[in-house]
Amino acid sequence: MPQVTGKKRKGILGAATLVFIIAGLYWGLIKAPPDAYQGDSQRIMYLHIPSILIAYLSFFLVFVGSCLYLWKREKRDDNLAHAAAEIGVLFTALTIIEGSIWGRPTWGVWWTWDARLTLTAILLLIFIGYLMLRALVEDESRAASSAAILGIIGFLDIPLIHMSVYWWRTLHQPPSILRPDKVPWENIHPELLTALAINFVAFVLLYFYMLSHRLRLGEMHEEIKARRMR
Amino acid sequence: MRITVHQLAKAYGYFWALRDLEIQVGGGERVALLGPNGAGKTTLLNLLAGLIYPTRGEIRLDGVPLTRQSNAQRAAIGLLSPGEHLYDDLTARENLEFFTALYDRQRGPISIANAIEETLEAVGLGRWAGEYAGALSSSMKCRLSVAKWKLLSPKLLLLDEPYGVLDGGGVDLLESFLKAQSEQGSVVIIASHHVARVLDLCTRAIILEQGKLIFDETRREPWDSFARAFGAFTPGGNR
Amino acid sequence: MKLLRQTLLLLRKDLLLELRRHESLMTMFFFGALLLFVFNFSFELTPARVSELAPGLLWLAFLFTGTLGLTQLFEGERGNHCLDALLMSPIDRGALFLAKTCFNIVLMGLVELVVMPLFWILFSLPSWQPLPALFLIVFLGNVGFCVLGTILAAVTLKARARELLLPLVLFPLMVPVILATIRCMEALLRFGELGEALPWLRLLIGFDVIFLTVGILIFDWVVDV
Repeated sequence: MPQVTGKKRKGILGAATLVFIIAGLYWGLIKAPPDAYQGDSQRIMYLHIPSILIAYLSFFLVFVGSCLYLWKREKRDDNLAHAAAEIGVLFTALTIIEGSIWGRPTWGVWWTWDARLTLTAILLLIFIGYLMLRALVEDESRAASSAAILGIIGFLDIPLIHMSVYWWRTLHQPPSILRPDKVPWENIHPELLTALAINFVAFVLLYFYMLSHRLRLGEMHEEIKARRMR
Repeated sequence: MRITVHQLAKAYGYFWALRDLEIQVGGGERVALLGPNGAGKTTLLNLLAGLIYPTRGEIRLDGVPLTRQSNAQRAAIGLLSPGEHLYDDLTARENLEFFTALYDRQRGPISIANAIEETLEAVGLGRWAGEYAGALSSSMKCRLSVAKWKLLSPKLLLLDEPYGVLDGGGVDLLESFLKAQSEQGSVVIIASHHVARVLDLCTRAIILEQGKLIFDETRREPWDSFARAFGAFTPGGNR
Repeated sequence: MKLLRQTLLLLRKDLLLELRRHESLMTMFFFGALLLFVFNFSFELTPARVSELAPGLLWLAFLFTGTLGLTQLFEGERGNHCLDALLMSPIDRGALFLAKTCFNIVLMGLVELVVMPLFWILFSLPSWQPLPALFLIVFLGNVGFCVLGTILAAVTLKARARELLLPLVLFPLMVPVILATIRCMEALLRFGELGEALPWLRLLIGFDVIFLTVGILIFDWVVDV
């Protein structure tokens, strides 16, 4: 992780991100054909699917950072957890907004309590709770350990939350014709898959680019603190 | 019991409460911890008690570092803060029963009950054994704390401003208790503003100012020269 | 076993203090009963609908009274900095966790024992038969709530706006427990047996076991800086 904050590497990362974003926009908006049923509104999937995957990646990084911090008490790991949470909450909120925008023309409503949207909303709440905890605990190292505990518990809980929300929505409802949470991969046009893949890579690169900047911010915070000691 | 403090530093956000402390204390010493408000005395005591953890540096008890997991080490540390660490809604006797059980000092139910009664008598609280701790006056509560630590007999005893609440009899009680502890090889560290009183009792004086150690001398004879060296650090001679 | 001995010692102390102070229990009782009255005015609780809504309403009541209990959980140690005294002592932190969790389970259990029959009376539910089984399900949910709640209550101990922060971080994590208990209770009320709701029961028990274990292992770091 720390190597990513070096200036040169950030520059390369930033350039790569830009390339892929442009490519992704091209493939997604122009090259790939519109969906047979949903038309052009389906294109938001190119943003929506990578967004949610990045959100989960974020939480995994929060978990890793939290575990490492509790084990080794190194500021660097706490910094990682904090940074991942901040960017994660951004992508989770984006996912919900994108899902909502997609939902309007597709189902006619801005929001529905289907499994995926509900799960994303819960994830957002957990992230927000994590960040609020950090903000409201006064002593810094206490804030770090408290947040680490929450990060670990939250991560362990997510599979259970998944199971319960999916069962809630599927065990008692007849299968519907429109299953927004099921993407039939077998029937996807290869161009769509390509567009999806490119956008996914673009998102991953964007994520790590933002993460590297945020990590550097955390490091600078520590440097200021160390200088004040003298 | 030997305490070693090495490059100890504690920061709260951007504020450094303690910076780069180096101290070594051996068993049998009674150390006076002095300094103006905000100098870091309470922070140092809390670090030694294992209640908070250093930002940098380490503390060792008998060569073993004090860490989060050191339950065995905790059994040997005591912190006496007047009015604190006692349950207001438990009686004096119940408080002592609870803490002796907590520290696993119960050699057998009868012998511990006797020890508790004896100790209560010894600190002058015999008549108030059945009173709720919250109903006791602050000087009586302090005596109860003394009773508690008498029973628990820690190898490192830390005191945070004990002189403020005690009456004359209580002060004598406390001091004879501290002398007895240090004679058994325990380390006693007292933070106080009552400079004259605490210097009288102690074998060594440490002064902190703005988190830094500025004076660390063992009491030596003739007392005059020690007082002069000490006086150099106290503007006007009296605090 | 040392852990058990220490847990019992701390639990006994907490119960004794609660008996003398009546702080938490009384407020929880009255708050729970009050919520039932509020439900009467907020929802059209006809006899037909009440059986359907009962699990959800009961859980609302328990969540709020439970949260009340949780914010009080370490209050007893606040005065005179007694929590510091416990942390300085040589006890296993896992014992502190178990003791506080059990204490809250006992408090919530007592409240549930009163509020559930009260609900039955106030809203004239048809049959008293499912009550014992319902208690059991609610109790299991209770355990899950108290386990996570104790960990988070300790974690938020020194935070500002604690009464708001604690529910904010706790409730999203409680989703599996809430859904599982509600589904089980619905099944019991409608069919008199769990039947299809059995997987939910397993999920609930799994949740309790997982986080009880995590709590014991992790509490060392929870009450620390």
